[in-house]
Amino acid sequence: MDDFSIVIKSLRARMFSTVTTSVTVAVAVAMLLVLLGLRDSGRQAFGRGAGNMHLLITATGSELESVLDGIFYANAPNNFIPWAKYEQVAESQPWAYAIPTQMGDSYRGLPVLATTREFFDVYQPSPGHAWELSEGRFFEGTWEIVVGAQVAHMTGIRVGDTIALTHGTGKSGPAHVHKEFEFTVVGIAALTGSPHDRALMATLEASWVLHAHDRRLSEDSNASITTVDDITEGDKMITGIYARVFTRPGRDSSAALQSVHYALRLDPQITAVSPADQIGKLLGIVSNIDQIFLAMAVIVLLSSGISIMLALYNSMEQRRRQIAVLRVLGCSKGRIFSMVMTESAMLGLAGAVAGVVIAVAGAQVVAGIMKARLGLVIEPGLGIEWVLFTVVATVLLAALAGVVPSMMAYRTSVSRALRPLG
Amino acid sequence: MTTESPALSITDLSFSYPGDRSPVIEIGRYELPRGAQALLAGGSGSGKSTLLQLIAGLLDPTSGSLEVGGTDIHALGGAKRDLYRGQTIGVIFQTFNLLDGFTATENVMAAMMFSKIPRKEHKPRAEKLLAHLGIDRPHATPAELSVGQQQRVAVARAVACDPILVLADEPTASLDPENASVAMDLIQSTCKDTGAALLCTSHDPAVWERFETRAELAALNAAATKG
Repeated sequence: MDDFSIVIKSLRARMFSTVTTSVTVAVAVAMLLVLLGLRDSGRQAFGRGAGNMHLLITATGSELESVLDGIFYANAPNNFIPWAKYEQVAESQPWAYAIPTQMGDSYRGLPVLATTREFFDVYQPSPGHAWELSEGRFFEGTWEIVVGAQVAHMTGIRVGDTIALTHGTGKSGPAHVHKEFEFTVVGIAALTGSPHDRALMATLEASWVLHAHDRRLSEDSNASITTVDDITEGDKMITGIYARVFTRPGRDSSAALQSVHYALRLDPQITAVSPADQIGKLLGIVSNIDQIFLAMAVIVLLSSGISIMLALYNSMEQRRRQIAVLRVLGCSKGRIFSMVMTESAMLGLAGAVAGVVIAVAGAQVVAGIMKARLGLVIEPGLGIEWVLFTVVATVLLAALAGVVPSMMAYRTSVSRALRPLG
Repeated sequence: MTTESPALSITDLSFSYPGDRSPVIEIGRYELPRGAQALLAGGSGSGKSTLLQLIAGLLDPTSGSLEVGGTDIHALGGAKRDLYRGQTIGVIFQTFNLLDGFTATENVMAAMMFSKIPRKEHKPRAEKLLAHLGIDRPHATPAELSVGQQQRVAVARAVACDPILVLADEPTASLDPENASVAMDLIQSTCKDTGAALLCTSHDPAVWERFETRAELAALNAAATKG
């Protein structure tokens, strides 16, 4: 028997109160940690999304919408850039690359990005990291397709499988599966941490064939199977251009970027946006929101401190006799004070530890939702410094909450609590 | 503290509650030798409760001195007084006041927490003491024990630290005559075995008859007033 075992016995004796109070603290700690953890990793994930492109060129009016649709696959873009326009843009500047992209098709609800081989050769999905394959090779033929790492994980697709794409995403308007056109899976990309992990990458020609086929069927319901030769200029549409200007080796920016960007913005048929700027604006909006959430989490944490105080305060009336008996047995007022303080800190510690466990699990869930909904791959690593800070702060807050009940215990009148004594 | 000093020595002790002019306690001289057993009699409101609290150092006298084992307990401050009380005075309460949720063994060990007895000896010592007093369920909590068994645990706790003085506060008030007799046998024999002096308060004439040394609190107060 020692002071600590008395503290533990006291907590056990009021198990319901101990558990409910600890849960209150745990929820607050978990909220705080999840928000802190996701805030940093979310910013990193958004930053990674644009890869090494400098500009995204679309026909969508809204700049932010262009980025969300053209990079993060939020929705299939509804506005198209004719191929002639693409060629004009591609030739207007000495680009490091200007990769055409076309979105609008899907496979089992997952977006398909139709593009050219340059997408794999020169575009880096994560700055400084070129595309890598975990299996197979990149596409070469028209009816070959490469799937993102998450797609392979989610669907179980293997290299060598044949799949049929859906024209449309099914999110808006009618969608139908083009069973007549089979794609062969030739590669599975390694995880990049970018939204492309949950996309399938097909050839631009194949995408145009699907569209051309729909056009031909609308003209003649008995039309024969469409081939690349059936593609007309009108079928050759894209939804975006991933562009990068030349930079000096080892540098990511160029003085020419501003002037190139300005020149493109003068063209009313296209929208040229800097993904970095748009992501910065988006994070600015999110930042205001997460500050509100953080403030709410801190308030919940403070209120959990108050609930610790109330739990101990309410228990004091029942414990006066126990405290008085301990005093008669030789326990000093100071030891009684420290026992109640320890009890309060233990409630905080139990809540904080449970909160860390909940936060780890919660962050995984939120990261999963972000990945599924936004294509953001977030590694919800809770920084050890945040974990330690939160745990220590919670224990200190709990100890602070224990001051009033501890003072009550300290001032317990033995003669009154043990009546009759003599 | 010397071996010759009495278990309890009271000299010119006076105590008044704040705001009261007349003292509740006023004792000129009273001594209880080591190992002796005495009964302190008095009616309700006579001040027995107050005197026991003064002896235990839970209340401070207005004047005078009160020594337990040769040490003026009131000359000790705060934590030292609490420790001294724990090491030299055992208390048996009318309602036992065992700690709920603690086993019989833990109740006895709780008393040793504040003694100089090495921690590793606490458990075997408590178990031995409980076995000696006939407790065959040392792991039972107070709620699981009969009233008689609770009384035994309370006695074991009071003598666990080999006190100089045991204060028994109306120890039979909640027992029937048969169990009261058994309880008093136990308290008196245990104190005798451990060498602790016993100062017992009681309303019960059957208990009075068990003590050769008896003192009426009113008489003690009156003697001090006359002196």
